[in-house]
Amino acid sequence: MTLDFILFLSINGVAQGMLLFIIASGLSLVFGVLRVINFAHGSLYMIGAFLACSLSALLAGTSLLHFLLLLVLVPPAVALLGFVVEVTLFRRIYRREHLMQLLLTYALVLIFDDLARVVWGGDLRNVARPELLAGSVEVFGLFLPSYNVFILILGPIIGLGLWLLLYRTRSGKLIRAAVSYPQMLSALGVNVSALMTATFMLGCWLAGFGGVLMSGLANIDLGIGMEKIIECFAVVVIGGLGSVGGTMLGAIIIGVGSSFIQVPLSRLATMFPYIVMALVLIIRPWGLFGKPER
Amino acid sequence: MPGNASGKMQRTAVAAVLTALFVLPFVLAQLGRTGEFWIWVITEMVIMALFATSLNLILGFGGMVSFGHAAFFGTGAYTVALLMKKAGFGFVPAMILAPLAGALAAAIIGWFCVRRIGLYFSILTLAFGQLLYMIVFQAYAFTGGDDGIHGIPKPEIFTPLTYYLLCLILFLLCFVSMRTLTNSSFGLTIRAIRENPERARFLGVNDRRYQLLNFIIAGGFAGLAGGLFTELNRFAQTEFLHWSKSAEPLLASLVGGMYSLVGPAIGSTVLIFLKIILQQIHKDLVTVWAIILGVILLAVVLFAPEGLVGLYRKFREKRTQN
Repeated sequence: MTLDFILFLSINGVAQGMLLFIIASGLSLVFGVLRVINFAHGSLYMIGAFLACSLSALLAGTSLLHFLLLLVLVPPAVALLGFVVEVTLFRRIYRREHLMQLLLTYALVLIFDDLARVVWGGDLRNVARPELLAGSVEVFGLFLPSYNVFILILGPIIGLGLWLLLYRTRSGKLIRAAVSYPQMLSALGVNVSALMTATFMLGCWLAGFGGVLMSGLANIDLGIGMEKIIECFAVVVIGGLGSVGGTMLGAIIIGVGSSFIQVPLSRLATMFPYIVMALVLIIRPWGLFGKPER
Repeated sequence: MPGNASGKMQRTAVAAVLTALFVLPFVLAQLGRTGEFWIWVITEMVIMALFATSLNLILGFGGMVSFGHAAFFGTGAYTVALLMKKAGFGFVPAMILAPLAGALAAAIIGWFCVRRIGLYFSILTLAFGQLLYMIVFQAYAFTGGDDGIHGIPKPEIFTPLTYYLLCLILFLLCFVSMRTLTNSSFGLTIRAIRENPERARFLGVNDRRYQLLNFIIAGGFAGLAGGLFTELNRFAQTEFLHWSKSAEPLLASLVGGMYSLVGPAIGSTVLIFLKIILQQIHKDLVTVWAIILGVILLAVVLFAPEGLVGLYRKFREKRTQN
């Protein structure tokens, strides 16, 4: 392997990791506030990707503007779906035991995945990359697919945006307060229930955003939701739930690792997240950043 | 607790159900081809009831949600398929090895999964279950990949009727041993850990070890169910290991009621029956089966978390109050 090639693999891996980060941060954010791990997060991401495909077929254009339009329209649509689900279903079970919450989100996986199959069918599909992002760009004398570079830049922007939202705005303060003391916050006159809905919608928005990006990156089919949610779980096992930094690092480890392992053993690439997860569990069962539970 | 009168009623009910289970196939056998189909259906019901009951050792008694139970069902299925088709094993040794293989797989996967209890346990069972699915899917030369393994030999003594009786007897044996297990000190310890792991630890119980052992036992029973199912259909396919297969016993446990031993078996039977009825009403209804299951699961979680058995108990309580 030449140095060039290693650099090439790393940058592509980090781009994959950024996509994963965008999706996993949504899962982690929702868990932080709602204390529910949403198994249907992967399905929402998949619905986002499929919506992007349908909408792009409808718009029938390959300019950057068309693609940006997808990025603007699809994630809110997924967030809207999240709104409906949160208000009608999740809200009823926050006080119930964990087991029931898990099973509820699992029921949603069954429903969403099958609905997607009925609506979109099992074919492979993708969104044509906009002309401006379809070629490659030269970075350090390397030719990289510009779409991957685009994701590479977008990831940190989203990450920074999330961090600013959580740590530099009043809404972020409220969200963090809701994580620690929901009752106290409610007693202070904050509408915690609306805050939870908003956070859930933001999580779904991130899933939808990741879906749109994915639809231009590779072929998508009905399996991508389950595949991605398991990658998200691997991120969560590595980096711990609820921390932006941990999610970022976990996502980059998975992205870069998969990218490197693909060269000698392409079959192992899909298994890489599991292998990392198993290793982390053997060495540090509480995650790389977590603390041992008593 | 049920008094003497209702205890007697329960015993009569159990005797009636058992008699029906043994007599029914002989009646069906007189009905020609439709009868044969229904014998096949009730055999599937019995096997799936075993699968669901085995999961409930983890779910209801252990209080841990496993989303990867199909891994052990599939391990049992592929053990029987490979041994009988490719290694020329007989039915009996293959069927003895199926639960052992299931238990072995559960020991390996469980060793990782019980390291993190709660949410993480569910995540990990799902992930490692899918991992096994992917391994089997990709090991084309060995497992036939997505083609599966077809044409598993069937010993001559097995007519639909005799195979049903074998499955029923095995199910009853398993059921009785699970009942004994859950009422033993082991079962009580598992329940104590479910209710209060901290207190159980203070009492000197090694909770992880108990949970792992429980996981392994459940995996063994699931392996047997998988083996029996493979011989019934005479094929094994990757779908047996897929995460959506894990949904079946989970749903059965919830619909039937996971806080009783017989609940999952009832739930499983009801769901299979429902599927067949839907099939009769309209063919297209089966294509959206997963949606229907999802909606049923939603309804159970929101309105009847203790399932059919819970509803029945409530109904009985109300009646005795009046």
